[in-house]
Amino acid sequence: MAKKQQKAFSTKESGQVLLTLMRFAKPHKFLFIVSFIFLALSSSVAAYLPIIIQRYIDTYLSKGTATMEITIRVVIFYGVLTLVKAASSYGKDFLFNTASERTVGNIRNSLYEKVGSLGMRYFDQTPAGTVVSRVTNDTETIKEFWTVFLNISNGLFSVIAITVAMFALNWRMALVFLLFIPFIIWMAGVYRKKSTLVYSQMRLVLGQLNASLSESISGMSIIQKYHQEKNFIAEFDEINQEYVASRRSMYSMNALLLAPAIHVIEAVALVIVLLIFGYQDFNSNAVDIGLVYAFTAYSRSFFQPISQMMNSLSSLQDGIVAGHRVQELLESDELAPQSIQEKNEWITDGHIQVKNLSFSYDGKKQVLRNISFEVKPGQTVALVGQTGSGKSSIINVLMRFYEYNQGEITIDGHSLKDLSIEGLRSEMGLVLQDSFLFYGTIADNIRMYDASYTDEEVKHAAEFVYADDFISEMEEGYASKVIERGASLSAGEKQLVSFARTILRSPRILILDEATANIDTETEGKIQKGLANMRKNRTSLIIAHRLSTIKDADKILVLNNGEIVEQGSHDELIDKKGAYFDMYELQTYQEKTGDF
Amino acid sequence: MFDTFKKYGWFFKLRWKSYTFGVVALIICAILQVLNPIIIGNIIDHFIAGTLNWKILLFFVSLILVFSLVMYALRYGWRMALFGNSTLIESLLRNRLFTFFTRMDAEFYQKYRTGDLMAHATNDLAAIRFVAADGVLTLTDALSLGGITLFSMFVFIDWKLTLFSILPLPILVIVSTYLGKMIHARYRGALQAFSSMNNHVQESVTGMKVLKTFGEEKEDFVAFKEETKKVVDKNQRVYKLKAALSPSIEMIMGLTYVIALLVGGNFVQTGRISIGDLVAFISYIGMMQWPLLAVGGLINTLERGSAAYDRVEDLLAYTPSIVETTNAYDQSLDGDIDFAIQSFTYPDDRHPALTDISFQLEKGKMLGVVGRTGSGKSTLYKLLLRDYDQYEGNILYNGINIKDYTLESLKKGIAIVPQENFLFSTTIRENIRFGNPTLSQKEVEKYAILANIHEDILEFPEGYDTKVGERGVSLSGGQKQRIAIARALAVEPECLILDDSLSAVDAQTEETILSLLKQERKNKTTIISAHRISSIMHADEIIVMEKGKMSERGTHQQLIGINGWYNDMYQKQQLEKKLDGEGM
Repeated sequence: MAKKQQKAFSTKESGQVLLTLMRFAKPHKFLFIVSFIFLALSSSVAAYLPIIIQRYIDTYLSKGTATMEITIRVVIFYGVLTLVKAASSYGKDFLFNTASERTVGNIRNSLYEKVGSLGMRYFDQTPAGTVVSRVTNDTETIKEFWTVFLNISNGLFSVIAITVAMFALNWRMALVFLLFIPFIIWMAGVYRKKSTLVYSQMRLVLGQLNASLSESISGMSIIQKYHQEKNFIAEFDEINQEYVASRRSMYSMNALLLAPAIHVIEAVALVIVLLIFGYQDFNSNAVDIGLVYAFTAYSRSFFQPISQMMNSLSSLQDGIVAGHRVQELLESDELAPQSIQEKNEWITDGHIQVKNLSFSYDGKKQVLRNISFEVKPGQTVALVGQTGSGKSSIINVLMRFYEYNQGEITIDGHSLKDLSIEGLRSEMGLVLQDSFLFYGTIADNIRMYDASYTDEEVKHAAEFVYADDFISEMEEGYASKVIERGASLSAGEKQLVSFARTILRSPRILILDEATANIDTETEGKIQKGLANMRKNRTSLIIAHRLSTIKDADKILVLNNGEIVEQGSHDELIDKKGAYFDMYELQTYQEKTGDF
Repeated sequence: MFDTFKKYGWFFKLRWKSYTFGVVALIICAILQVLNPIIIGNIIDHFIAGTLNWKILLFFVSLILVFSLVMYALRYGWRMALFGNSTLIESLLRNRLFTFFTRMDAEFYQKYRTGDLMAHATNDLAAIRFVAADGVLTLTDALSLGGITLFSMFVFIDWKLTLFSILPLPILVIVSTYLGKMIHARYRGALQAFSSMNNHVQESVTGMKVLKTFGEEKEDFVAFKEETKKVVDKNQRVYKLKAALSPSIEMIMGLTYVIALLVGGNFVQTGRISIGDLVAFISYIGMMQWPLLAVGGLINTLERGSAAYDRVEDLLAYTPSIVETTNAYDQSLDGDIDFAIQSFTYPDDRHPALTDISFQLEKGKMLGVVGRTGSGKSTLYKLLLRDYDQYEGNILYNGINIKDYTLESLKKGIAIVPQENFLFSTTIRENIRFGNPTLSQKEVEKYAILANIHEDILEFPEGYDTKVGERGVSLSGGQKQRIAIARALAVEPECLILDDSLSAVDAQTEETILSLLKQERKNKTTIISAHRISSIMHADEIIVMEKGKMSERGTHQQLIGINGWYNDMYQKQQLEKKLDGEGM
């Protein structure tokens, strides 16, 4: 797998990832540019500082002409430049990090916006953890990638600045240093190749280690019951040792190729410089002592940034992998159904007509076959049938969570596809079986981000669905915090909140998807009253498990295997003594045994 | 600060040889490093005096080369010694934690969630690893390199010059320590913002359908932008200080350079020191920079390492409440079960989960347990399996209190298959012979056939070698349940408990499995709870649970006669069958 990963990202692909990342950096290019100016400034000053000391030694000290005044002048000059260097290096770090943080912020926003635009299919297929990880963790890794970028730029600038300074002082000596560059590039190449392997092996084993650990913790009761503790300890130890070995080979590689190796090269360069100076001296060319000082100092500052640059090479791969994942998500085409923009028709009366609708999630298995029905304005139609009979699929299509391709659906005579999705959803109030409460207060949850609703409107909506009673009883009323998705509320209470949420928007059409399935007996009465209120003067489409709740529907459709098998009013269907009748009988027992 | 090292004392003792080697190598490196400027200073002085010749030059130059090679070897050596030790302590503790986890009881796993335990085993251990290598390294390096450099400056160059030059250095230590602390505090704020953003994404993704229903994607996006902005702002606060760390150190170092130039220049003028001395001295200041810088980081490393170590120790100090009695019976279970519980309450709960449950189950008989969800069926099994000990009453197996058996004999004797089954991400074969890894393929197949899963397995791409779990084939709920049953059968338990373990299997298959089991386990005890009355109606005795109590008991015929919950349930299911017949 390690090899696969390495192969998967060719230079070309890495380049594409880089381009994508650059696109997000663009809005902050000013910050990046200024930070690079500071970078250039601080590197240049750093390269210039030894020259001051060199000149001081050569011009004054070695000739014995340094007066206190001259020394003080030199010292002040040195001090001022040090300040300039410190300030510009502060500016460089601060601005660059800020810019990269903002870039990552941009990436996060774009990703999140993209995620929001994806169809429900994506969310039904992708585990929530994966989506979260794309938006937060992978982008965090990209930040490290920028740090690597800074380190490398930093190193390059320093090397260039010092090279220029060295050439200014003595070009022959400078050449000596340049001779090492091809060698170092070769070494960096070797290191990059080797480190990609070593690090990906290490990550692989770490992944295994964590997977084994978390699996063992989750399955601990089974391990204990089947008395496999010893085997698992042995197995875990094996992976653990493998991890130790992979870390050791990482340490070994870094020790052989990074800082210690660069130090040796530094010493070799120093020796060559000294030998050349010696040679010049013996051939009676006077050697400036300051120059010797400057070059010995440079031998250190020339190689140190190179060592740092090589150090950061190992994190480069992580950034590319993360960037690639981000790119993939950004290019995902699992888009939510779109409306035909020009039309933008609106719902007025709530007259639903479905004709010959057939639908499939995967293009293979038909979940709806030739469904036709009509809901006139103000009518209530109920859908009943076993799990998997296709009730929820009808709602998925009606709400435009999924695109349909066969058949026709119209509301108030307009094709569903001509309605703006926003308008459609604002006029179709859907209440789901699992009322989902968000972090925030009860009032926030009723408003759902839409701050234009006043407190009175919120309270009024809650009163309308009989949610006000229990909310007012809470210590902080509407300002009570909802913790952990409403753990402190009963299922019924949570459902009442979601009723209020729906009714606040006074939709023309009400859609209830098993909205009363998980209700406790205490709130059942209120729920029923709330529901009755909500349905008044509204077109309603109800999926219900409890047949007692839909007795008064204008029409009941019985679905089986994606088809409508019976339809009519409650009384008509009971008289028919068919499937609906049996289902109704069954529920009498269900209510007795409390078993659904 | 140094009591952190005390906590690690046992490990230093254990690895004293490699630690000694590492520390000595570090010190030798420091000494060799300090010699370099002296050599260069000497060469420069020879230049000035005009006394330099090839012989002297080559001598010095080869010294530099030899030193550098020796240092290369030593640097490699101490890195392997120190870093090697650091991953060793990590792996030792990780193994210790793992072994510890295998000994913990149900109560422990109720108290700590997987995520928390994982965090201890990863983040805390990483912090500990850091102390074992970087902590030791920084301390040794700061003391040796700092000490030796300082010593050389005093002795070889000039004590007065040294004294003046190092005046600003204490400021450096103070500033870097203080900044380090501030940065850490702000960093925590940034982490909080990150985690809040993470929660937002988590919540919105889980509640995506609701968001879409209310058309609030845009508003949610605006709220998310607030979160990312907060993350950016909080991180910016970190960078504001973090970017100041190295410039402020550079500035203080600049001050020492300035003093060195000022005073040193004067000393050269007066002939107190040579120019070579001054050059060497300036190099020494450069060498002092890193050890001093490191001290600031060291304090943070040690504090974090110490806290992590305490957390791990605290965890390891947990003692499970389920323990073997001394002289516990180490014999296989065999005989009747006497179950008599007056009351049991879960820890951290106020209401009893079970009250007045008693029944006798003869060896080889079958007990059926029914009741709605939450009526206490599973709790009953938990007590039988000794997941919990703190109840009033007694459970006897063959006349012996189950608390007096060794845990091993109890676990070997009783196997349970719950409704939700955990399979390990390995092959199906390994999952079936989980409790008995030496079983042959033939034996594995025998149990798979008993559990009516053999045919299914053969249809998988790699048969018994097919992997399950995330990276393997995804199994249906019914397949999982049947594999779990095969796994339980493979240990040939004296008592088998099927806790609603066929809920995802259709009625036909369930009946096949149960009748096979009946033949196969003729002389062994079986307890079954099920949703379908049909699957327990042939049991020798049936008890109906309601709210932690036994509400009805008897044989199927007797219970039908009572005309209570059991009968209602049975009639209802008969009707359902009829509906199924109609194709519903």
